[in-house]
Amino acid sequence: MTQKILLVEDDNTTADFIVKGLSEQGFAVDHANNGRDGLFHATDGTYDAIVLDRMLPGMDGMAVLGAIRAAGITTPVIILSALGAVEDRVAGLTAGSDDYLTKPFAFAELLARLKLLMRRATTGPVSAVETVLTCHDLEMDLLSRKVKRAGRALDLQPREFRLLEYLMRHKEQVVTRTMLLEGVWDYHFDPGTNVIDVHVSRLRKKIDGDADTTLIHTVRGAGYRLGAGE
Amino acid sequence: MIKFWRSSTARFITLVFGIELILAAGMTLTLRVLTRGELERDAKSYAARLTQELGPVYLKQGKEDFQKLAALRVLFSEGRATVILMVDPKGKPVAGNLQGWPPSAKLGWSEIELYRNGSGTPEQMGILVTNLPDGSRLLTGQIIENDRRLSRIVDRATGTALIFGLPLALFAAFAAVRIINARVNDIGETAKAVSAGQLSQRVWLDGSGDTFDRLAATLNAMLERIEALISELRIVTDGLAHDLRSPLTRLKVRLERAQVEDDEESLRTAITLAGEETDRLLGMLTTALQISRAEAGIGRDHFIAADLGEMIRDIAELYEPLVEDKGFAMEVATGTGPIVAMHRELIGQAIGNLIDNALKYGADSIRIATGESDGMAWVDVSDRGPGIPEDQRAEALRRFGRLDPSRTGFGAGLGLSLVGAVARLHGGTIELGDAAPGLRVRLSIPLT
Repeated sequence: MTQKILLVEDDNTTADFIVKGLSEQGFAVDHANNGRDGLFHATDGTYDAIVLDRMLPGMDGMAVLGAIRAAGITTPVIILSALGAVEDRVAGLTAGSDDYLTKPFAFAELLARLKLLMRRATTGPVSAVETVLTCHDLEMDLLSRKVKRAGRALDLQPREFRLLEYLMRHKEQVVTRTMLLEGVWDYHFDPGTNVIDVHVSRLRKKIDGDADTTLIHTVRGAGYRLGAGE
Repeated sequence: MIKFWRSSTARFITLVFGIELILAAGMTLTLRVLTRGELERDAKSYAARLTQELGPVYLKQGKEDFQKLAALRVLFSEGRATVILMVDPKGKPVAGNLQGWPPSAKLGWSEIELYRNGSGTPEQMGILVTNLPDGSRLLTGQIIENDRRLSRIVDRATGTALIFGLPLALFAAFAAVRIINARVNDIGETAKAVSAGQLSQRVWLDGSGDTFDRLAATLNAMLERIEALISELRIVTDGLAHDLRSPLTRLKVRLERAQVEDDEESLRTAITLAGEETDRLLGMLTTALQISRAEAGIGRDHFIAADLGEMIRDIAELYEPLVEDKGFAMEVATGTGPIVAMHRELIGQAIGNLIDNALKYGADSIRIATGESDGMAWVDVSDRGPGIPEDQRAEALRRFGRLDPSRTGFGAGLGLSLVGAVARLHGGTIELGDAAPGLRVRLSIPLT
C-alpha cells in the first residue's frame, strides 16, 4: 500500500524538491502551500506522516500543529524550521511534533527521519520485553550485554554497545549522523568534523572486520544502514 | 501655542506657579486671621479688666468715686480710646463718655457703631456689657476703628506684595523649569548626536550624584554598551564577509570545475566537495547565529542542573576516537561534579569547539580538567601546541578574530568566540592561559 505524506511548505522550490524526492521513493505526496490548506488536508486524517514548515503565511506552523493535535489526530508530524536553536526545537517537540529538522537539511536526513516515524507509528514503540536483538548473524543480548557475530563473542566498549544497539533497533533503515548523535549521545549540537564517522568506523572494524557479509553500510550523502543486504 | 500648554514644561510651570500662589495666599490669610484675632483678644481683655475694676468701685464706694475713676480711665487709657458707660437700674446714665445707652447693646461682647460724647460721627467700637447685682448696667470697651484700619493696611500691603509676587513666582517657576530642561536637553542632545552616528558621545555629569546624574550615568552605561555592540557588529560583518569569501570562492571554483568534468566519477567528486564546502559555510552561519543568540541572552530559560564532570567525560568520550586517530593522547582529569545550572547543548558545543581547536592547533596531547574555585566551576582544555602570545589573547577571543599566520585555520575565531559567548550567557568567563607549552583555555561558569 502506498504511504501518503502531507507536505505543508510555502516555499515552492523547497516543496518541489521534497515532493519529487518523496515521490521517487514511492510515497504519495500532497502539498499545501499555506497553513489553512494544510490544516484542512491534515484533518482528513488519512496521512501516514505530515511534514510541516514552521513559518507559514496565513497560519503559523505551530498553530497548525496545535490545531491538528487538538483535533485528536495522532499522525506523526515532523517540523521543518529555519530556526535551529535548541529552544525552538524544544518548543516544537513540546507542542506535539514527533521530530524537528532544521533548514537547510539534506533530503536523506528528512527521508530517514520520516521512515523512522512511520515505522514507529505502525509497529508501535519497540517493546520493552525484547531482550535479544538480531540482524543476520549478529546477535545482541540486552540483559547480559553480550554481542556475538556468527556465534563468536565481540568485545565492545559501552558506547560502542549503545551505538550498535541503536543501529540494530533501526536495522534496514538509514540512520543519519545527527540521528546517531541524538539517539546515542543525547546531544543536538554539531560536533563538527567526522566525529560520528570515526565511532562508526571503529564499530564496523569490530563487527565486520573479518566477516564475509558486511552489515554496517555507509549510505552516500545520508548516513548509515545496518543490514545484510546491499 | 496650544501644544505648548499641553506640554510637560507648561504643566510643570503651572504646578510650581500654583504652589507658590497657594503658599502666598495661605500666608496672607494666616497673617490676617492671626492679627485680627490678636487685636480682638486684646480689646476683649481690656474691656474685661475695666469691668472688673469699675464694677466693684461703683458697688462698694459709690457713684462719685466711680465717676472719678471712669473719667481717669477715659483720660489715661494706655493709648486706646476707651469708652465707658454706666446706667442705673432705670436706665439713666451715671457716668461715661457715650451719648446714652445704646438700644442695640447686648449682654456680653459685641462690636457696634456708637457715638461718643461730643462726636458727630459714629465710631466702630468693641464693648462688653455687664449687669451689676443692683440692676444697673456697665458698658466698657474701646474704639476699634484704628485696629480696623491697621488690618485694612495689612490687607492692602499683602495684596500689593502678592501682585509683585505673582511675576516673581512665575519667574521662579520658569527658572526651575529652565534648570531641569537644561539637563534634560543635555541628555537629549547627546542622544541625538548618538543617533546621528557619533557613538562616542556621552552625557555630561556634574558629579553631584543626584537623580539627573544617576540618569546620565545609566544612559552613559547604555551608550557604552551600544557602542560596544555596534563596533562588534562591524567586526562581525567584516569578519563574516572576509571569512565567507574564501569558502564561497572555493565553492564557485568547484562548481565551475564540475561543469566541465566529463566522466561521472570526477563529476561526483566535484559535487561532493562542493557539498562539503556548503556544509562548512552553513556551519559557520549556524555558529555565528548561535553566538548572536547567546550574546543576546537567549536560552537562559533552558538552563538545567547538570554534573559538569560527567558531561565533560561524555564529550571527551565522543571525541576520543577522533583524537586517537589523529595520533593524539587525551587525558581527562575530572571528578564528580560540580553541579551547575547550564545550557547543556551550548556548553557541549563550547567544549567540543575547544577540543576541536586543540586538535587543530595542538601537538601530541590534549588535557581536559574540571574543578571549582571562588564560586566558579571551570573546565580547562590544554593543548601542547605553540599557544597564543599574551598580547594576542584578547584578539583571539574576538568574534572572527583570527591570529595570522599561526592560526590560519578555518573559522577558528568563530569557535573560540562561541565559547566566549556561551561563557557570558552563563555569567561566566573565558580565559586564555599558558599551558607551558601550549594554550590553556579556561571556561568558568558560576556555581549555583
